[in-house]
Amino acid sequence: MVIFGILALVGIVSIILKISQGFDTKSAWGYYAAIVSVLLGIFGAAPLVAIAPTIAKADWHRPVSRIATMFTLAGLSTVIMTIPLIFALPPLVVNGLRRRSIWFDANIYTPHVFFGLAVIGLFLIGLSLLWVTSIPDFAAMRDHSNGWKQRLGKTLSRGFVGTDGQWVSLRARVGMMGTFYFMFLIFVHILYSVNFSLELVAGWKDAIYPMYHAVTGIQAGIATTVIALFLFRKYWKLEEFIRIDQFWALSKLMFATTIFWFYFFICAFIIFWYGRTEINIMTIKILVNGPYMPVFIGAFLLSFIVPWWIIIWNPVRKNPRMLTLIASIILVGHVLDRIRLYVISWQVYSDEMIHNRYIPLDQIPTQMLSPGILDILIFFGSISLGIFIILLASRMIPLVSIWETHQSILLTKHIKFHRTEVYAVGKPD
Amino acid sequence: MQQRRKLGQKQINRELLNGNLQTPKWYIPVMIVLGSGVLFGLGTIFYMFNRGLGVTGLARPVYWGLFITTFVFWVGISHAGIMISAILRLTQAEWRRPVTRAAELLTVFSLLTALMFPLMHAGRPWRIAYWLIPYDWARGIWPNVRSPLFWDPIAIGTYLIGSTLFLFVALIPDIAILRDRTKGVANKIYSMLALGWRGNPRQWQLQTVAGVLLSALMLPIFVSVHSIVSWDFAVAPAVEGWHSTIFAPYFVIGAVHSGVSAVVTMMCLMRWLWKWNNFIRPEHFDALARLLIIVATAWLAFTFLELTFSLYGRDAPEVALRELQIFTWPWNLLFIIFLLTGYVIPVGCWLFKKLRSNIAVMFWTSILVNIGMWLERFLIIVPGLSRKQIFVYTWEGYWPSPVEWIILAWSFAWVSFLMLLFARFFPLVPLFEAKESQVFTTEMKVGRATVPMVIRE
Repeated sequence: MVIFGILALVGIVSIILKISQGFDTKSAWGYYAAIVSVLLGIFGAAPLVAIAPTIAKADWHRPVSRIATMFTLAGLSTVIMTIPLIFALPPLVVNGLRRRSIWFDANIYTPHVFFGLAVIGLFLIGLSLLWVTSIPDFAAMRDHSNGWKQRLGKTLSRGFVGTDGQWVSLRARVGMMGTFYFMFLIFVHILYSVNFSLELVAGWKDAIYPMYHAVTGIQAGIATTVIALFLFRKYWKLEEFIRIDQFWALSKLMFATTIFWFYFFICAFIIFWYGRTEINIMTIKILVNGPYMPVFIGAFLLSFIVPWWIIIWNPVRKNPRMLTLIASIILVGHVLDRIRLYVISWQVYSDEMIHNRYIPLDQIPTQMLSPGILDILIFFGSISLGIFIILLASRMIPLVSIWETHQSILLTKHIKFHRTEVYAVGKPD
Repeated sequence: MQQRRKLGQKQINRELLNGNLQTPKWYIPVMIVLGSGVLFGLGTIFYMFNRGLGVTGLARPVYWGLFITTFVFWVGISHAGIMISAILRLTQAEWRRPVTRAAELLTVFSLLTALMFPLMHAGRPWRIAYWLIPYDWARGIWPNVRSPLFWDPIAIGTYLIGSTLFLFVALIPDIAILRDRTKGVANKIYSMLALGWRGNPRQWQLQTVAGVLLSALMLPIFVSVHSIVSWDFAVAPAVEGWHSTIFAPYFVIGAVHSGVSAVVTMMCLMRWLWKWNNFIRPEHFDALARLLIIVATAWLAFTFLELTFSLYGRDAPEVALRELQIFTWPWNLLFIIFLLTGYVIPVGCWLFKKLRSNIAVMFWTSILVNIGMWLERFLIIVPGLSRKQIFVYTWEGYWPSPVEWIILAWSFAWVSFLMLLFARFFPLVPLFEAKESQVFTTEMKVGRATVPMVIRE
């Protein structure tokens, strides 16, 4: 707690120092924008691990869902990081001319306002989701503690006593909030990817890019959840609750999103490569074989090739240690991927160039930008802030949902099946 | 959700083989009507071959019209099988069981039909032989292996072979049941097809492993097929509206939307015609409708992104194309119908449990989806080419001729004819899946409620 708290403080101070350097040099904000994108992935998408299986009525998610949902709290770090970046984003009218934007003829600060509201909205919806899914546990806290914890439990449980009506209402609210969070997250990814990278590069037109951004963010979110589960399981002694089943199921999701990484990438790449117009050649140079080619190769290897080749093996999928290693590799790949997308977008932006049909090849930088010391401190600080908040919350909210564990005990049983014993799961409507 | 019905093995055999061991009354009249339609359609196709493509509405600059639209449409429908069978099998969705056979069958027959449309579109289909075997070796005239038009038949061919294998492997236990209940020539044929199936544990184990392996192997093919079909369009930078990076996933998700809807249509017909109320139940429609809400919403998001990014660049030709597609008669009317039938009306209905459990509502909404999805392909292909470009002096728009409409109708009659023909000889609901479902589901009491349980495989 202390280490993460100090790192978070250092990060906040670094953000203040970064702001004091001003917003005029856009290229200085590239790494910062990449960090915000990473946070959107690792903290924003992790709750989907709880939402998607709930909607699909899978039974394995119950011990995982609380830990995954608690990442919504870490969204506060994303909100704090977003505020300065909004000021760095150029307005829609540059040098008296309107630049290309998905906002078309809207007010010149529309992307700034809407993205700010969207990130705050996502954070609030996430908090509501966490609160709704924790109500029965808050009621348990109210009934089994005293002092400030009892008072807090009483306030947050909102009179929950477990009547039929309350359970029906709770299930409906969990479903609705989960769906809403998922849709809002995709919306935020669309806005962020387009407003903070694609629109800054004259000529880059890529309809699949927002979905690529969202899907790769989800891949990072799942990887984050796997790492968190491993650590909580080990250090909080939760082996009885978080079992191999959970890692096995998560490994399949991680495998699927890894394949999606490649599919969405190749869908865009093949069109640019095949089209071979000046704009297409420029786009490939910016994103793939330009100054950031080493970063691209790193991202390609760590986000797709390595995880794909390892998760494909059954024994790996049953081994939490190995899965955690793969998840860590995926996260490194994710960071590299965001660097290749954001840093160059801010690097090539200029008020003069933005109105061009495309950037001539000889105007594309030949050297990649290196991160400054402040960028590195902000990176570690922002992630530490998220972890710090989660650790703080874990003192009040149980890491494994009590009511879902009870539900799991009620709805699963081992039954005799011919000469063997099998595991049966109840599927209530 | 699982409104379990306890059924004995004999009852399952009797009910599900009722169309194979005897002929339903409606069967022959329906087959005569469909057969006449198929013959009339074939006659029209031969008439077109004889007279040339001049009898169609195709003319400069629109050279890809109704045939290519219908080709894409049927390839889309073929995505039903793998979506339902492979993905739901891998995710162990219990409700998939009665639906799988029909979905796999639809895949095979729609692929067969889809493959015929590029042949018709070629005008002189025998010249396809030149494509397979280059006629002038000396000049090195080879098909362009870098072209998606070359990848297309390879991907579709692989998908067809894989799907047929998938269908056959799942059919073997049911063929063995038919073998044991028939005599004479039928018995000989079923014996040959059953491959000596006796139902011993090793055979079951191999059949299960083959099913799972084929499911996993078919998934990449499933995605690649429609992606490659989309690249037929997307790699062409000269046509505004086609050169878009989102086309591949947009086509795939659209195909799943259309294919799963077609399965819903088939399930309604199966329930009505063969009275399989014990097997195809409202809960199955409810589950499919929920799946369709998610698929349709994802598809709408892709549609929105495709439209937004086409306008984002503010290129004059692209803006002009969208004006033609959305605001100009008659495309504007088609566009509105496409949105209403492809999303607004069906999803509006499926949001309500009462409506999505109603078989008639599901039947009509699933048909609406496919009207919308056919229009979507038509609206992508034809207005894209209709735009006036440099050195094009023809200003007439394209509209399909009666010959093309007849051939379109023929394709529906042809697929229905094949499905009914298959249904006469093989069960449309897998018997072994129905029996397995009886074994793998049970019930438990939780408090005052009775909850259906599923045994984890």
